[in-house]
Amino acid sequence: MKQFWHSARLPISLLVALHLAVVLAGFLSPEDPAKQNRKSALLAPMNIHFVDSRSKLHLRPLVTVEGEDRPLRFFVSGSQYRLLGLFRLRTHLFGLDEPSGIHLLGTDEFGRDQFSRVLWGGQISLATGWLAAVISVGLGMLLGLAAGFWGGWRDSVIMRGAELFLALPWLYLLLAVRAFLPLSLSPSATALMLIAVIGVVGWARPARLVRGVALSAKERDYVYAARGFGASAWYLATRHCLPETYSVAATQAALLIPQYILAEVTLSFIGLGVGEPVASWGNLLAPLRQFSIITSAWWMALPALIVVLTSWCFLRLEDALSSPSPRKHECEKMV
Amino acid sequence: MKRRSKTHWAGIAIIVCACASGWAIDLQEELLTTNAAPGRYGGTLVVLQRAEPKTLNPVTALDAPSREVIRRMTADLVSINRATQQTEPGLAKSWTISEDGRVFLLELRRGLHFSDGHPMDTDDVAFTFQVYLDEKVRSPQRDLLMPGGQPVAVEKLDSYRVRFRLAQPYAAAERIFDSVAILPRHLLEPAWRAGKLAEAWNLNTAPSAIAGLGPFRLKEYQPGERIVLEKNPYYWKTSREGNRLPYLDRLEFRFVPAEDTQVLRFISGEADVLNRVSARNFEMLRQDARTKYDQLQDLGPGLEYNFLFFNLGSLDGQRYPEIASRQASFRNLGFRQAIAAAVDRDAIVKLVYGGRATPLWGHVTPGNRLWGNAALPKQPQSFDRARQLLRAAGFRWNSEQQLLDASLKRVEFSILVSSSSPERVKMATLIQDDLKTLGIQAQVVSLEFRALLDRVLNSREYEACILGLVSGDTDPNPEMNVWLSSGGSHLWNPGQKEPMTAWEGEVDKLMRQQMTTLDYARRKSLYDRVQQIAAENLPLICLASPNILVAARKDLGNFQPAILDHYTLWNVEQLYWRTPRGVSSSPKESRP
Amino acid sequence: MLSRYLLRRFAHIAFLLAGISALSFALLELAPGDFLGEAKLNPQLSAQTIAALREQYGLNKSLLQKYIYWLGSVAKGDFGVSFAYNLPVSTLLWPRMLKTLELTVSSLTLSWLIAVPLGVWSAANRRGWLDRVVSFAVSALLAIPDLVLACIALLVAVRSGIFHSGDPVLPVTVLVLGALPILVRHTRAALLSVSAEPFARAALANGIHGFELWFRWLLPAAANPLASLFGLSVAGLISSSLLVETILGWPGLGPLFLEAIGARDFYLVIGPVILSAAFLAGGTLLGDILLYMVDPRIRLES
Repeated sequence: MKQFWHSARLPISLLVALHLAVVLAGFLSPEDPAKQNRKSALLAPMNIHFVDSRSKLHLRPLVTVEGEDRPLRFFVSGSQYRLLGLFRLRTHLFGLDEPSGIHLLGTDEFGRDQFSRVLWGGQISLATGWLAAVISVGLGMLLGLAAGFWGGWRDSVIMRGAELFLALPWLYLLLAVRAFLPLSLSPSATALMLIAVIGVVGWARPARLVRGVALSAKERDYVYAARGFGASAWYLATRHCLPETYSVAATQAALLIPQYILAEVTLSFIGLGVGEPVASWGNLLAPLRQFSIITSAWWMALPALIVVLTSWCFLRLEDALSSPSPRKHECEKMV
Repeated sequence: MKRRSKTHWAGIAIIVCACASGWAIDLQEELLTTNAAPGRYGGTLVVLQRAEPKTLNPVTALDAPSREVIRRMTADLVSINRATQQTEPGLAKSWTISEDGRVFLLELRRGLHFSDGHPMDTDDVAFTFQVYLDEKVRSPQRDLLMPGGQPVAVEKLDSYRVRFRLAQPYAAAERIFDSVAILPRHLLEPAWRAGKLAEAWNLNTAPSAIAGLGPFRLKEYQPGERIVLEKNPYYWKTSREGNRLPYLDRLEFRFVPAEDTQVLRFISGEADVLNRVSARNFEMLRQDARTKYDQLQDLGPGLEYNFLFFNLGSLDGQRYPEIASRQASFRNLGFRQAIAAAVDRDAIVKLVYGGRATPLWGHVTPGNRLWGNAALPKQPQSFDRARQLLRAAGFRWNSEQQLLDASLKRVEFSILVSSSSPERVKMATLIQDDLKTLGIQAQVVSLEFRALLDRVLNSREYEACILGLVSGDTDPNPEMNVWLSSGGSHLWNPGQKEPMTAWEGEVDKLMRQQMTTLDYARRKSLYDRVQQIAAENLPLICLASPNILVAARKDLGNFQPAILDHYTLWNVEQLYWRTPRGVSSSPKESRP
Repeated sequence: MLSRYLLRRFAHIAFLLAGISALSFALLELAPGDFLGEAKLNPQLSAQTIAALREQYGLNKSLLQKYIYWLGSVAKGDFGVSFAYNLPVSTLLWPRMLKTLELTVSSLTLSWLIAVPLGVWSAANRRGWLDRVVSFAVSALLAIPDLVLACIALLVAVRSGIFHSGDPVLPVTVLVLGALPILVRHTRAALLSVSAEPFARAALANGIHGFELWFRWLLPAAANPLASLFGLSVAGLISSSLLVETILGWPGLGPLFLEAIGARDFYLVIGPVILSAAFLAGGTLLGDILLYMVDPRIRLES
């Protein structure tokens, strides 16, 4: 356990900080993510400095807006938002006095603040990643274990089913599902539904890997021994085969969360992402499809860094999870 | 006499023979002399397409890439000059129209040949129209040749004269002949008689089995990659100096689905012409050192018009109760006027098209020189006016500034857009924000294009939608299906048996009238009235028309892009390379 | 025994293909819109012509009728007719399938040849700083979707001027970069768990270490998940390069398939789906056979 914490402390702390920031998106973001500022479209990120244009040092950070130096205020009252979906608040951690907005990561094509959109967008993106991964791995473990352990016709049926799901043109399925959703569904609900569909469809890959391990596990000597002692199938499955599958399942889960976050990005690229004006990381990266954006507005690519960082954290976590347990730790020193 | 040597007589003989052969060509072929500036022969032109052509059959081709390629291989009797937007002689060197506008007598050029050398005469013309009008062939162009519901009657008078008789007078009838490609009877008649014309000239057909009268003929097709056309040695147009066109040796179409990849290929020197560029890429091309001296032209607004419209048709209240209940607001003229007043067209032009678009208040764009109604009011965005209109229409605001209709229900609806059109999605986002200021909550629903069309045209399960249409021609006649209440493209309420409103009935009458009126001034006043009624009743809230942006290499001569399709290649026979090709101007070219 | 097993599996594959085709037909029928949807918007076409065209294409037939027609067409070798091209689907698929395989087979070979040694080396040097760097690079690569990779690669290639359209180097690079991270990570994880087994300690005690230890003794023992993974790699030979082909303009199945979906060209959509399913089934069969061959602990049901 100590070993695990030692190798995983960086990614875990980063992830916790990220999730906290995303949950407190309303408080931490200075602007309303949907507020359009048509005169300020595609503005570059603003610098925070302490020396004003007359070379005077200030204690309070300054931001240059339209040529003017404006002081940054803390615990500002700004646009209304809902914290945790329950409380209606107006206080933001930092911001400017009305009217201008502060844009630490620049603005998008409609003049909306990217910094706020990245925070709010994290809510949708992380939620979809978790949801879909949990569904996939849960279903995959259930079905993979059943297939590997019981074998026989159940194995065949489940594996053929897995092949069917892998062979499905998921793009087509999504188009069909999207077309059938009611018009009145909110953008977030639509996105969650689509991602849930992807999650359900994605049970096949974890199931195959889990099945491979279960097949091998059930042939071990101690399993035979336990069976000889009259252990029930359920006992054998859960006590002996299931633990063997944890490492594969953990690997899969930690791999899948960032993969599903990326799936949402891909969906946004082809136009099936979260609807306007709700922000999601995929939504924010979709304009990058036209590479001319990168050459004329480089800051639009910054949300990609957050996505990469999140993915990296999950993968480091997965690394730590799949590291051998303390019992095996001794061998590592030698090998 | 004895002084004349053998050499002298030989010389005369040679000269006489040369004259005779040259003279023979000139006598037998009646070529069309164009205004094309003198050019240099040779070279290949590489053009990029978003998708590959599906067929080379002019009779059945429906999709744009197929038509793009086919039109370079075929010719028509009368052409519409894309630059002047007027008709000019094609294969027909002259024609007369009867007093009542119903009878056309066309005289063909003599001595012309198809691209395989076979001579062309009125038999081919008669055969062509027979095929297009044949019900069993089911050509998409059949309906064009049936003005007023009756097929055009074609009569061959002799080898070079043919008479067309229309059942009723039809305005600008000679425009029908544009894009009716004349087919080679010697190649296609057997297939037609066997009932297999629709399968003829598919992509697997050998080049020798295809012939046409266009500037190029088929050389080679590589599936998924490119289609190569070569110069037609029998082409019947010449330059000002009498040199036979086309100048180019080869015309190559390559298939690149993504627009950004197309632009990159242009930058790298692999492609020579970009037929349509988005505003952002256009700016990039203007600034990139490798392309800033190329011919990058902003042609101004084309014929495309984008608009927002509501579902005004009568719906089955049982099936879609929510939509049906919202229609009360949609049908309220004051409501639509308020929405039109709240739309920020300047923002659309600036933020969606980078300034390269024109705001629209009616469906006839400024690109259409002859038919726009200049008297239509062009009011800028005004929330005050919108609120006034809503108040007058019976709407109220509650304490949270949300708009309520007469029955005190919140006004909210969804706007459908096609996911494959990022510009329209952006327009929807802007409009959504504007409507929020009025207290209306609008949802932007991005659907795949076919699914969207199915909802709008078939199941009618939608509330509002943003779409765009492109007129086929500057002439109002192709717009009939949009404005006739029984028309299939009458988007807000298609296929009505009886017009639902008085103004739709009046528009029906006016459109039918202008279709049979031959005098331009009279037609214009009728069509002006149609535009006025449309502006007053707002079935379509017009938003903007994007400018046509094209790009071509700087040393491509005679490049005269126009806003009518095909923007860049309509005069492909006149295009030439100013510097000899083979000496690459950019070191990165790769031409196999 | 093996031949009976194979026979059974081939029967399963046949059932799978039948199942996929039926499911795809049902999905396609469910999805709103059909081939002539856009034609309705075309002002040139009258309703009568459109109705006649619908008859001609057989769009009014019931689902069962369409399926039976398609089965008959499969028997003939045509696999249906494309509405847009008016050509048999098989003639359209064949040349493009070869182009797609050109890309995917190369990238499969390359990525496995690079990933396995990289994974082994990464597991062997687990604590080193180089491993951390490689690990970070691999994770970063994993975080970038294929689409974005393709766009970046395109941008880089054009800026540096080494871009040629007929050259498979760029698409193969993108595909390899996309496939590499997962393979490396799985190899590494499998080897790490195997290196903790008692027999690894025994081998070390016997003086076997370094290259011989990792490649001769540990790698084969870790073959279980790798065999399944290889099967999955083979399974994706048709479907993995779809989007990359479309972005980079490679004339494979990708652009054809995506366009057919958008146009609702019924039989042309089913064609690549069945092809992809066939490869999938073949790939998983291969994976299972490999599993049987490398892991003697697995007994096949008799």
